[in-house]
Amino acid sequence: MTEKLTKVSFSNLDKVLYPKLKVTKAQFIEYYIKMAPKMLPFLSDRPIVLTRYPDGVEKQGFYEKDAPQGMPNWVKTVKLYSETAKRYVRYILCNDLDTLIWLANLAAVEIHMPLSRADDRGKPDFAFFDVDPEPPATIDDAAEVALLLKENLDALGFKAYVKMSGKKGLHVLLPIRREYTFKETRDFVHAIGKHMAKQSDKVVSEFSDTKKPSKVFVDYAQNSHGKTMVCPYSLRVTPDATVSTPIDWSDLKKSIKPAEFNIHSVPRLKKEPWKDIFENPQKLEVK
Amino acid sequence: MEKKTRKTRKQQVVEAEKPAEKQEEAAEPARAPVSRRPIWSGSITVGLINVPVKLYAMIFDRGVTFHFLHKVDNAPLRYEKVCTRDGKVVPWPEVVKGYEVAKNEYVVFGKEELDAVKPESDKRIRISKFVDYFSVDPLYFYSSYVLMPDKSKDAYGLLLAALQKMNKAGAGRITLRTKEYPALVHAYKDALVLTTMRYAYDVADPRSFEELKELAAPEKAELYLARKIIDDLSGEFDMAEYKDAYRQRVQELIKKKLKGEAITVEKPPKEEVKGLMEALRETLKQLEKK
Repeated sequence: MTEKLTKVSFSNLDKVLYPKLKVTKAQFIEYYIKMAPKMLPFLSDRPIVLTRYPDGVEKQGFYEKDAPQGMPNWVKTVKLYSETAKRYVRYILCNDLDTLIWLANLAAVEIHMPLSRADDRGKPDFAFFDVDPEPPATIDDAAEVALLLKENLDALGFKAYVKMSGKKGLHVLLPIRREYTFKETRDFVHAIGKHMAKQSDKVVSEFSDTKKPSKVFVDYAQNSHGKTMVCPYSLRVTPDATVSTPIDWSDLKKSIKPAEFNIHSVPRLKKEPWKDIFENPQKLEVK
Repeated sequence: MEKKTRKTRKQQVVEAEKPAEKQEEAAEPARAPVSRRPIWSGSITVGLINVPVKLYAMIFDRGVTFHFLHKVDNAPLRYEKVCTRDGKVVPWPEVVKGYEVAKNEYVVFGKEELDAVKPESDKRIRISKFVDYFSVDPLYFYSSYVLMPDKSKDAYGLLLAALQKMNKAGAGRITLRTKEYPALVHAYKDALVLTTMRYAYDVADPRSFEELKELAAPEKAELYLARKIIDDLSGEFDMAEYKDAYRQRVQELIKKKLKGEAITVEKPPKEEVKGLMEALRETLKQLEKK
């Protein structure tokens, strides 16, 4: 019976959210229920931002920072000043399964999280490299650059983690101690990017170069107060219902396609490449 | 939505079951509960005397009610106003009222026009005379309400005692919502009760039936026999002898269904919800381990 398992009452379960794959809202909610144990450790205590697509991903969607009207009273929120909106915003905190299910029932297709937690917003717990290929560069080029990035980080004694963005790029994360400011993480990521641009002419490290065709931008700017990253295992607004999936570095050595990681395949993945990501917050110091 | 309807259904069953379980034979549900919210307040006026009162619901229609659901997923259905010409659902702002003067011919009114002639509730039960309660034909009785004293109990107590002593009822009128009713204020079980009544034009006169004109006068012997039978079967009227057997049988069925003895109502949820519930169970198990 519904009431025992969740506080959420489901609505419009028949609605098709991904028309190409005929994914219904029921399947969509089921996906988030299945992924909850892996997602909640990332989401908890982070003021999240939603992209909602109540009429499916092919129709108009909208960003939502403010907790929506008619929100049940058990959903935790936090009121914080938004640098981008220039006002106080009541953000949702997705700290439990019911909240995640409730978000899924709102057709919150993508869940974006900041790199810091609500109790100390100025101190990120991840340094984030957004490896973004500019067409005709592809995911393969992004993979090549990400592997170069790993080489560099390995050489410096860091343990980094990689995930599919779910679109064309890759996300590389470094779990760090909450001792550094966004400026410090940003400068760090930027410095690595600049170094890599010298190593490979595929890589660009500056904003001015982002639109150069065939280049791969190692974006540092997301390491900022108020900026967000798509949450690991969040679905993406793509026709193929792709997922921002944590992967093994070795996966990058063979050619991979974003569409391989989708709403159907990801829940069946056995391995957990990011299992120990919270066990080893690193110092942002070069040995 | 499903959750809500299910819960209410269960509650209703439980409420009705309780008395039945206590006293095995008396499967009749308990008397209608006393309503705690007045539906009207005002005063009884007799000439210059005012008795401030509040009106509480007294008559309930507590038969078995069913909700219409969609067969495939048990979702409750709702009614929509559909245009008979194009079959489309008509939104409220496009609805007006029409009085049918002839077949398919209407005099149309907007809301304001009708509001202007609506009887105004002046918050008074105006008593114009006192009558013998039993002289009023019960066919005219429409509904009854409990009257309770508002603020001062003295005037209420006085009126109640006087009506009880004299077996009289105050006859007058009251406006409830938008309708004015003829009404009686009378004593009933140590309380004042207001009974609204139908207008004469709402009650048919059976003498207008043709069949009655052909009734033959009975033979004397036959009449004697009939009177004898009636005499033998005469007694006091006792409401307790009457039970709603249909309600009891349905209640039995509901009980069985809730225990899982029968089918349909507790039908396993639709395939997709089943998937969700399975996933939920698995996830809850995993989260517990952590």
